[in-house]
Amino acid sequence: MAAVARSRAAIAGLIVPGLCVLTFSLVVPLGFSAYFSITDSAGFGEYHIVGADNYREILGDEVFCRSLRNVVLLIAVTIFLQNPIAFVLAAVLSRLSARVSRILRTVYFVPAVLSLVVVAKLWVDVFNPTFGVLDKLLRAVGLDALAVSWLSNPRTAVAAVLWIIVWQGFGWALLFYYAALMTVPRELEDAARVDGASWPQIYRHVIIPYIAPVIAAVIVNDVISSMKQMELIYLTTAGGPGQLTQFLGVYLYQKAFVTGEYGYGNALSVVFVVVSLVLSLVVLRGMRALAR
Amino acid sequence: MTSPRFLVGIIPLRLGLRLVVALAALYAAPAAAQSKATIKMGDNLPDRSNTWGAIVEQINTEFKAAHPGTEIVTESYPDQPYQQKIKIYATARQLPDVFKFWSFTSLLKPLIDGGFVAPLDRAAFEGLGYLPGALDSNTYRGQLYGIPVSTDFWVIYYNKQLFKDAGIDHVPVTLEELYALAPRFKAKGIIPMTTDGKDAWPLSITFDLLVWRISGQNGLPRQALERKIKFTDPVFVQAARELQRLVTSGLFQDDLMVSDYGAARNLFGQGKAAMYLMGSWELGLGADKAFSPEFRAAVDAFKFPALKAGKGTIDELMAWYGGNYVVSAASKHLALGKQYLAFYARRFPELAWDRQAALPAQTVKPRPSDTQVARSILRIIGEAKATSGTASVDLSTPRFKDDNENAIRELCSGLITPEAFVKKLDAAAEKAAKK
Repeated sequence: MAAVARSRAAIAGLIVPGLCVLTFSLVVPLGFSAYFSITDSAGFGEYHIVGADNYREILGDEVFCRSLRNVVLLIAVTIFLQNPIAFVLAAVLSRLSARVSRILRTVYFVPAVLSLVVVAKLWVDVFNPTFGVLDKLLRAVGLDALAVSWLSNPRTAVAAVLWIIVWQGFGWALLFYYAALMTVPRELEDAARVDGASWPQIYRHVIIPYIAPVIAAVIVNDVISSMKQMELIYLTTAGGPGQLTQFLGVYLYQKAFVTGEYGYGNALSVVFVVVSLVLSLVVLRGMRALAR
Repeated sequence: MTSPRFLVGIIPLRLGLRLVVALAALYAAPAAAQSKATIKMGDNLPDRSNTWGAIVEQINTEFKAAHPGTEIVTESYPDQPYQQKIKIYATARQLPDVFKFWSFTSLLKPLIDGGFVAPLDRAAFEGLGYLPGALDSNTYRGQLYGIPVSTDFWVIYYNKQLFKDAGIDHVPVTLEELYALAPRFKAKGIIPMTTDGKDAWPLSITFDLLVWRISGQNGLPRQALERKIKFTDPVFVQAARELQRLVTSGLFQDDLMVSDYGAARNLFGQGKAAMYLMGSWELGLGADKAFSPEFRAAVDAFKFPALKAGKGTIDELMAWYGGNYVVSAASKHLALGKQYLAFYARRFPELAWDRQAALPAQTVKPRPSDTQVARSILRIIGEAKATSGTASVDLSTPRFKDDNENAIRELCSGLITPEAFVKKLDAAAEKAAKK
């Protein structure tokens, strides 16, 4: 066995299958994408090499900027709103009796196991201004002025889709935090309490540092899923009204396969990969620092 | 006595023979299957039990009976997802053998240019009662590439019962009268009018029509696309303002901009909306069993109103031939696909009119048993003084179509002004002209 581990040929042989999978599932498609990104291909038929034209166009593309802004907004909302709420709730659940905690955990986790199509349909119906339950409730309590078309009103559309995404993803964050909190040894808490630490101090100086790697993992996951966001937007607003709720995933799909700008769609996907890489590196570095 | 050496030779020989027989059987199996041809079909009619979908199913059954051994497998999705699917199939070179596609210049032409669509023998379709210009609408460089299935024009459907309930005894002939209806329906809890705002093309068609109603001049959007005039000319600004007014006046459903085709149609069909802005291909509403008999008896259509101060009249129609059926050039059953199209062209007009499902691109004879809405549709086209195609949707590049629809979405969502809208259109037209 030791001889195998020392053999370069054996090591190479073991690496090759994984390398092949990585090459054909990532490098080759990316290579194709990069190639088509410098063409005016419609996805079929003749096409021409247009150099950096598509990339130059992306620089002045308002919709691309808005899509990117929406991604950043979603990341911010998940990190600074969804996560703290999920953490607080997980902390409360970890102090409740096992039975009550189990019931509540199931309730909070239900949205996460629902199909995205079901979630999208559910909220499109809830937000519907004609037969939606939300507007009906608002009208019933005399708040007629607040009863609007949530998903098509430019003032509420972004918030409405962010709510749907956060609602659907909340269960995961809660589950991770709950699992992490249950691993914190009681002795640490007891020792801190003996030293005279208050509850906020225990959380700030003992529990949070202890579960920092989990917090880092949840945040990295949030960033990745925010960047990949596509299905819920596609199924609810398709980027509308106008292009207000547009996200990168939907936009590049629409460009490549709806409007027949396959070359431009590929250029968007290349930029998307670069943006994702940069963002991932930044977040990972930040998280590493936090975990330390 | 058989020597062991001989046995060694005979065993592989027997095995070899068995192998040969097995291989022959395997070879024969596909040969027998070859007499069975399976045509893959694609269309936008997921409901196969009602109106258009049911008619296509009947045509398929009849075709299979006339061509024993033929199977037809249909892939069907709602309009926009279907269009996307076809583009993806074209990219993957997996187009169905026979499929439906629209808008010659902006949708079908790129497929023809890419060599994906087989040319047809025009003589096989002449004499099948096609209306003047119908086959020409799919003729490119002297070759026929597809058969249009319907005669399409822009109308407003309405529910006569809901009009009566609201005390309205006549249909509006001016936009001002139309606007005045909105509060009367709303007071009764009824949505005045619905359309598909999510996909934006109905609003693009309406914009082109408003340009005509305002100017009284046919084909201005086309001239702007050809760069003979500019989209920034005052008439386009005026039309954009009118379109924005149409949307912001409360005439449409509140969630217009995220309402898709099916949602808009259902609101009208379920009696929740009094009017439905759509094309004549929806005349099947009068026979659609998905809706109540009361609704089917009450549905009718009227001409898109004129503007009091406009130079256009209500008898000028946005009209075109729609829903082309084509055969994939890469089809393994090219001849059979073309036979199917010829069969379809013969059977569709008769069945479509018999079931009052659509107004075909071929001649139909009015009958006393026609539904009210079908009679109105025939009357409207009969009274037309002039017709024009949908330049914004059909006559430019796919990119212009997309830019136009995005700008329309922004205009109708109140995100941009009419002035900014026409600037966007003009920039898009300029880009398209350079292509």
